[in-house]
Amino acid sequence: MTSPEIPSFERSLFDPARRISRIGTGSLGGKAQGLVAAARILSSRRSDLELPGLALDVPALCVLATSVFDAFLDRNALRPMLEEEPSDQTLALAFQRATLPAEWLGDLRSVADDARVPLACRSSSALEDALGRPFAGVYGTKMIPGNQPDVSGRFKSLTDAVKFVFASSFFHEARAYRRAAGDLPEPEKMAVVVQEVVGRRHGERFYPDISGVARSWNFYPVGPAEPREGVVDLALGLGKTIVDGGACWSFSPAHPKLPPPVGSVRDLLDATQSRFWAVSVGPPPPYDPMAETEYLVEPGLAEAEADGTLRYAASTYDADSDRLVPGTGRPGPRVLDFAPTLVWNELPLVPALRQLLAVCEGELRAPVEIEFALSLPPGQPARFGFLQVRPLLISGEAVEVAEDELRAPTTVVASTAALGNGRHEVRDVVYVEPGSFEARLTPAIAAEIEGLNRTLVEAGRPYLLIGFGRWGSADPWLGIPVRWDQIAGARGIVEAALPHMNPEPSQGSHFFHNLQSCLVLYFTVPIDSARAVDWSWLASQETVTRTEHVRHVRTQPPLVLRVDGRSRRGVVMAGTS
Amino acid sequence: MAIKGVNAFEMAQAQFDKVAAILDLDPATRELLRWPMREFIFAIPVRMDDGHVRVFRGFRVQHNDARGPSKGGIRFHPQETLDTVRALATWMTWKCAVVDIPLGGGKGGVVCDPHHLSQREQEQICRGWVRQLARNVGPVADVPAPDVMTSGQHMLWMLDEFEAIHGGHYPGFITGKPVGMGGSEGRTEATGYGVVFTIREALKELGLDVKTTRASVQGFGNVAQYAIRLYTQIGGTVTCVACWDETDQTAHSFRRDSGVDADQLVSISDRFGGIDKAKAKALGYEVLPGDAWLEQPVEILIPAAIENQIRADNAPRIHGKVRIVAEGANGPTTPEADGILQEKGIFVIPDFLANAGGVTCSYFEQVQSNMNFFWEKDEVLARLDSKMTAAFHAVSELATKRKLFMRDAAYVIAINRVAQACRDRGWV
Repeated sequence: MTSPEIPSFERSLFDPARRISRIGTGSLGGKAQGLVAAARILSSRRSDLELPGLALDVPALCVLATSVFDAFLDRNALRPMLEEEPSDQTLALAFQRATLPAEWLGDLRSVADDARVPLACRSSSALEDALGRPFAGVYGTKMIPGNQPDVSGRFKSLTDAVKFVFASSFFHEARAYRRAAGDLPEPEKMAVVVQEVVGRRHGERFYPDISGVARSWNFYPVGPAEPREGVVDLALGLGKTIVDGGACWSFSPAHPKLPPPVGSVRDLLDATQSRFWAVSVGPPPPYDPMAETEYLVEPGLAEAEADGTLRYAASTYDADSDRLVPGTGRPGPRVLDFAPTLVWNELPLVPALRQLLAVCEGELRAPVEIEFALSLPPGQPARFGFLQVRPLLISGEAVEVAEDELRAPTTVVASTAALGNGRHEVRDVVYVEPGSFEARLTPAIAAEIEGLNRTLVEAGRPYLLIGFGRWGSADPWLGIPVRWDQIAGARGIVEAALPHMNPEPSQGSHFFHNLQSCLVLYFTVPIDSARAVDWSWLASQETVTRTEHVRHVRTQPPLVLRVDGRSRRGVVMAGTS
Repeated sequence: MAIKGVNAFEMAQAQFDKVAAILDLDPATRELLRWPMREFIFAIPVRMDDGHVRVFRGFRVQHNDARGPSKGGIRFHPQETLDTVRALATWMTWKCAVVDIPLGGGKGGVVCDPHHLSQREQEQICRGWVRQLARNVGPVADVPAPDVMTSGQHMLWMLDEFEAIHGGHYPGFITGKPVGMGGSEGRTEATGYGVVFTIREALKELGLDVKTTRASVQGFGNVAQYAIRLYTQIGGTVTCVACWDETDQTAHSFRRDSGVDADQLVSISDRFGGIDKAKAKALGYEVLPGDAWLEQPVEILIPAAIENQIRADNAPRIHGKVRIVAEGANGPTTPEADGILQEKGIFVIPDFLANAGGVTCSYFEQVQSNMNFFWEKDEVLARLDSKMTAAFHAVSELATKRKLFMRDAAYVIAINRVAQACRDRGWV
C-alpha cells in the first residue's frame, strides 16, 4: 500500500491545519494508515457523523515514518547486533544508548515543547501495511505523561519511548511472530505514531472515561445477537485493558441492554473490570525506559469513584435484592456494566457507534474494527476520540461443515462456535492433559507450551493446540496466560472447558486479530457441548514429548481442521490411512 | 593572524558603523560597542626544552560582556595581532547575541607556532597564559575555548592550571574539553550540523525541496564534513568539494555528479584534510582547479574553509543556479562580493549565524560543566536545532519585514540585543 500524502510536521503538534503530520519519509506503517483513514472518513462524512452531545475527532498526531527507523539503525550500527538475537533487555538498553537521527531531533523536541499532555507512542509496522493485515499487539506501545515541567524532561521521555518502540520490533515475541508468519516480503521497518492521549486529569492519574473497540462483525454472538450486528468491548481507562484481553464489558450494539450470559449477578461481580489503566501524571516513577508500563498505573474502582469517572460506567450491587441498580447513587459494590450509558442512554454512545460502524463499513467496503476513547468532562460536550479503523479479515475460502460431521466417528474435536474460516492439515498436536490440569498451574503450563512451540516452529511443523479456558488471558485464573509468540506456530487452537475452568469465551482484541491475520482456526468447546474433545483418541497417539502438564503427539495420517465461518461449525477429523 | 590586505578590526568597526546607523544608536552606545571593553596584553616566559627561556606574547580581548560572560577561542599562531583578536572578539559578541545565548564576546591568542614547539613547551604556554589571566577569566567572567591550532588537550592544561590557582574544580571555566573530561556530546558535529539546520530553513523559505537541490562545498575539515553528512542525510546531493593540498601547496576541487561520499573521502584524506587525487579519480571523482567549487551548477554554496574566498574577482563566476550561500567559515565573503551576491539575488546565510552551532554547543558545554551534569547527545543536538532554527527565523523575518540583506538583518538583531543589554544595565 502506498502512503497517503500527509503534510510534513511543522514544529507544532496541535496546529489545526496539520492535525496529522509526518516526520521523515518512507512508509507510515499500518497503524498510521488506519488513523489517516479515520481522519479521512471524519472529513468526508462529517455530516453523517454529527451526533448530538458527542464531538468526534482524531486526536492530534505526528508519524515518524520508517526513514527515521532506518537511519537510527544504520547510523548507530545496530544491525549487526540484531543478527545475534540478543535478549529483550540487552536490545532495549543498546537502543536507549543510541542517538536518534540529528535531522529529526529538533522536530521531536518541538513535539515535547508543545505537548504538556500525555502522549501515546505507538508502533506502526510497515509489514502490516505491506501485507494489509495487522500484527496487533506484537510491537510495543508506550505512554508518556507530558507532565514534566521542563521541556528536557518531556523530550527525554519522548525519545526514550520512541527508542523503546523501535527496539520492540526485534524483541523475542516479535521475532517469533514473524518467523511463524512464514516468508515475509521484506524485513520489518517501524514507524511510530506519536499521538495525544484522550482523557482527563484526575490528580495523579490521566485516563479516558471510556475506551472501546467496536467490530461490525461478531465472531462470538451470544443469545439473539447475530454476527452481522457487530460487537463492542468497553472499558474504563486506557484501552490497554481491552487489547490485553482483560475483563471488559462486551455487548451487541443491536442489543445493548442484553445482559451477558453469566450464571448470576455475583458471577458478574467477579467477571467485570475491577482495575483500570491510567497514565501516571504524579511524581516521576522510578526510571525504567525498558518497561512498557513505566508511566502507567493500574488503580481500582475506589479511585475511579473518587475521580468521578464511574458516572456513565457503573452499576451498584444491591445485596438485598441480589441485583444491579444502574448508577452510583447508593452505597454498595460497583460493577462496570456501563448501564447508565447502555440501559439509560445517558450518553448517546450506542447510536454513535452504530452510525460510525456503518459509515466505516461503507467507506472501506468491508467489515471493520474501530478503536475509540471518550473524555466526558462535566458540563461540556463529550469528546469521542476516533483512534483507529481497519478492515476485519475474513477468509474467503468456501468451507462447509455439515451438521452430522460434528458427530462423525472420526471427529476428534467438534465446535458449534468456531472462529475463522478455512482448512488446515496438521500432524502434530500439543495438548494440556485434562487429568493434571489445575487453574493455579496455568503460568507453568504457558512456559511448557512455549518450549514445545519453539521446537515445532524451528522444525517447520504446524500444530493443533488444545487447552482449557481463555487462551491468552491476562488473568491466569481464567485460562492459560500465553503471549501470542508462545503459541505462534499453532494453525488451530481449541479452547476446551472443564467444570472449574469454564469462562465466557473471549480474547483480547490483539490476540483475536492475530488469530485472524494468521488464519488460525479457533474451536470453542463449551462444557455442555454434546461432543467435546475425544481425549481417549488423543491419548492413543504416539508421544513425541511429554512435559509435566503437556503432551505432544504425532498422528498418522494427518488431522484435518475445518471451520465454516458462516455456520460457525468447526471440526478436527482424524484422517484414514 | 592578519587577513591579507585588510585590517580585520577596521572591517569589524565598519560593519558595526553601518548597522549602528540603521539602528540609529546614540553616540555613547556606538563608542562603547566600537571598541573592546577590556584588553590584556602580556608576556609568557617559557623555559624551552633546550634550557633557554623564550618570552611569548599573549592576548585576551573581552569585547563586551553586557549579556553574560565573555566567550571565545584561544589561537596559537605566529602572525597573531591584537587587531585580529579584537575583530574576532567583536564578532563573537555579535555571534552569541544573534543566536540569543547569554554570553558576551571574547578572543585570545598567543604569538607562537605550535608546529615548532614540543608538547611540554605548549603546555607551559597554556599554563603561563592562565597564570597571567587567572583573576580575569573563569566560569562567570570569561570562558575560553579551542581555536586555531589549539585543541582539547590545550584546554585541559589550562583548566588544570586554573583549578590549581583557585583551589577547586571549575569545569565551566573552559570549553572544548574531551567528552568524559567535561566536554559535551555533539560538539564535534555542532558547527557543521548548525550550518545545515539553517540551510534547511532557508530552503523552506525559498520553497525548494531539499531532495531536488545540489551543493558545492569549499573545505574538507570538521565543519565541511559534518555539513556534507547531514545535508546528504536530509536528502540533498553534494557534487563538489574543494580542499587544500599540503603537498602541492594548492587547492583542488573534487567533483562527482552522482554525489560526494564524505566517509569515503575521509578514508583517502591526509591529516590536514587534503584528499588523495589519484584515489579520488579511481573512485570516480573529477579533479578540478581549486576555485572550481564556486562555479558549479548547484543551488547551494557552502564556503567552509577560510576567509576571503568569495571576492569581487570571482563572485561573478558563481553559477546562475545558485540560490543560497551558507557561510560555514568565518568571513568567507568580502564586502564587495557581498554586493554582487545581493545583485544576483542570492540568499546569504551570514557566517556568524550559519556557523554559530559551534559556540552554541560550547555554551551547552559550559552549562553542563557548571552543573557537573551531562546531557545525552539527543538532548544536545535537539537543543542545537531549536536554537539555530529560532535564530534563523528571527533574522529572516526581520530581513523580510525591513527589506534588509540577511547579513544586515543578523547584525541588526545582534547589535540591538547587545545595545539593549548595555542600556538595561545602565551603562549608557
